[in-house]
Amino acid sequence: MSVAANRRRVDPDPAFARAFEEAASRLPGARFPELATARERAIARFVELGIPTQRDEAWKFTPVARLVNRPHAVRPPSEPPLERVLPHLLGGPKARRLVFVNGVLQPQWSHVGGLPERASIESLARVLETRPTAVLEELAEPDQGRSFTALNAALTDCGAWIELSPGTELADPVQLLFLTVAGASAPMSHPRIVLRLGAGARLALIESHVGLEPGPALTNLVFGARLQEGATLAHDRLLFQAAEAAFVGRAEVHLGGASRYEQTTLALGGALLRSESEVSIEGGEVECRLCGLAVPREGEHVDTFVRVHHRAPASHSDQLFKSVVEERGHHAFAGKIFVHPGAQRTNAYQKNENLLLAEDGEVDVKPELEIYADDVKCSHGATCSELDPSALFYLRARGLDAATARGLLTWAFAAELLGRLADPSARAAARRALAARLPAGAPADEEAAA
Amino acid sequence: MLEIQDLHVAVDGRPILKGLSLRVRPGEVHAVMGPNGSGKSTLAFVLAGREGYEVTAGSARFGDEDLLALEPEERARAGLFLAMQYPVEIPGVANMYFLRQSLNAVRKSRGLDEIPAAEFMRKVREQARLLGIGEELLKRDLNAGFSGGEKKRNEILQMAILEPRLAILDETDSGLDIDALKTVADGVNRLRAPDRAFLVITHYQRLLDYIVPDVVHVLADGRIQRTGGPELARELEERGYEAVLGGRLAA
Ligand SMILES: Nc1ncnc2c1ncn2[C@@H]1O[C@H](COP(=O)(O)OP(=O)(O)OP(=O)(O)O)[C@@H](O)[C@H]1O
Ligand SMILES: [Mg+2]
Repeated sequence: MSVAANRRRVDPDPAFARAFEEAASRLPGARFPELATARERAIARFVELGIPTQRDEAWKFTPVARLVNRPHAVRPPSEPPLERVLPHLLGGPKARRLVFVNGVLQPQWSHVGGLPERASIESLARVLETRPTAVLEELAEPDQGRSFTALNAALTDCGAWIELSPGTELADPVQLLFLTVAGASAPMSHPRIVLRLGAGARLALIESHVGLEPGPALTNLVFGARLQEGATLAHDRLLFQAAEAAFVGRAEVHLGGASRYEQTTLALGGALLRSESEVSIEGGEVECRLCGLAVPREGEHVDTFVRVHHRAPASHSDQLFKSVVEERGHHAFAGKIFVHPGAQRTNAYQKNENLLLAEDGEVDVKPELEIYADDVKCSHGATCSELDPSALFYLRARGLDAATARGLLTWAFAAELLGRLADPSARAAARRALAARLPAGAPADEEAAA
Repeated sequence: MLEIQDLHVAVDGRPILKGLSLRVRPGEVHAVMGPNGSGKSTLAFVLAGREGYEVTAGSARFGDEDLLALEPEERARAGLFLAMQYPVEIPGVANMYFLRQSLNAVRKSRGLDEIPAAEFMRKVREQARLLGIGEELLKRDLNAGFSGGEKKRNEILQMAILEPRLAILDETDSGLDIDALKTVADGVNRLRAPDRAFLVITHYQRLLDYIVPDVVHVLADGRIQRTGGPELARELEERGYEAVLGGRLAA
């Protein structure tokens, strides 16, 4: 297919198909013909779909091809030293954890033992080997024209399959840590996370994507969660990629009645961070909260794409997405709330606040509401502004110098999102990453005064 | 201490202060009264160094410094304090954290060490108690969600902690109930000292019953139109600006 024939897509670099052919036989589950066939179909589908251009409405603000349409290596080996990994092990001493480097499970840092009987946490590679038909069903889900989903289906090699039976509660968090060591190899990995929470089950999940070395790399994630009646999922996501690396992630979440889902994403590093969330509220009395903070700078691009569907009456969704855009940073936010027919008494809110600190920074916003019910409370608001001059003056009039005052106000704006992270260690890690990113860092001895 | 001479200030090219002169000596309390829109807050802001106020002529000296040449923070560190008519709400910045940073910035410029945390909290609690500010308010973010009166008390708390040489109070009494007015006035009176001066901007005689001024000025049409003793304020209260200033209130 030529570019001219369909300008909403460009042909993928032939290196993708070559990488697939070369890697197919060593992907987990390769010995199962049905799985191999499904993967072959998926790579063909990816080549057919191509990579979206900015003419594709869903990618309007993001030149994704420019960053990812290049040769990548599948599972290049790398052994980062423990001291580089240690700061990213989160969730406390009793957390269960799977750690991957360039898509390869690292058993020395992973442990998921001591689970209650009615809970299971398995690496996806293991499920591909032991229960290939279960994964096949997942891969068979229609991609709806999303080429990155097809690419993930072709190459998925890491990730996790987590199931909690009804009423099961894990007291300590589960962390999934995806490390990328780019170096010269330009690795790509295609994690897939499958999460099933039975009625009343509770889980705190920390999902970390961390780049340890600058260089081109691609992480292409597909996350799918299903929460049954009354289940609770706290979902902290830390996107700390290294320079030049790209992250393309899609989270699809189905929420049963009276379930509770809290997602907080901190996008603090990477040439491209595309984070797509599509939440489907399928029962009443659901509490859904989606939050995010992006701090792009120096050519970095963060693209937050959110879809919330209210398909049942009397549920509540709340979105708060913020960005601090520094020099040559770019943040794009596209968020849409759908209130489907019959979803009466829906409360749905969306707030997008952007702090533009540099003239050459860029912010694009596209908030939308689509409402097919009459008895609903919905609102959305987007702002883009500089620091408030009257607040700056107030602080300076009390003796703080201009740089300190700016730093303090910027921190205050951004730090609200730290508080939305459920896990204290994730909060501490995000706090360090944020402090390293903002020009004035974290406020001096803030803890001492707190 | 403060010497303003023939000050002209424009906002967006529009002249607001049109030749204002004022002299405040250490230990004195000056009241500035005047109709709405006469330029009282403009005077306060231009002295504190807020952007957007263009000095087109005149001067203001603070001690032996050219006040108008200093950045806002330099003025604060030199001992100037402005209690604002509308204190700004700053969510995300903790009230006490801010006050400690502020005090340390001022102390540093005076060659003093940072205040130890325990001593700071002791000082703040003592002042807060005197001003009727609850512990809960101290723990909140800076002015965030404070009532009008709570904001004003918080300004006075900051003043008490920072111990300025010159405090400008811009309508600190407005929005206060009768008891709060008394509490705030007591707070100001406690700070009165031979080396400290006050510029009290107000519309009401009642505040001046508590904070008895040495000098009262009437600001109208961008200039000091009359200066007198405390009796001038009472005269204004009884007769109004129109009558007191007579033909001088042209605009
Ligand atoms: N930032 C500004 N932008 C535009 N106009 C301004 C600004 N600041 C002051 N002005 C104008 O300058 C004039 C004086 O305002 P100022 O606030 O100094 O009055 P004031 O004496 O403090 O009044 P009040 O008693 O109502 O507080 C008013 O006409 C006001 O509209
Ligand atoms: Mg005023």
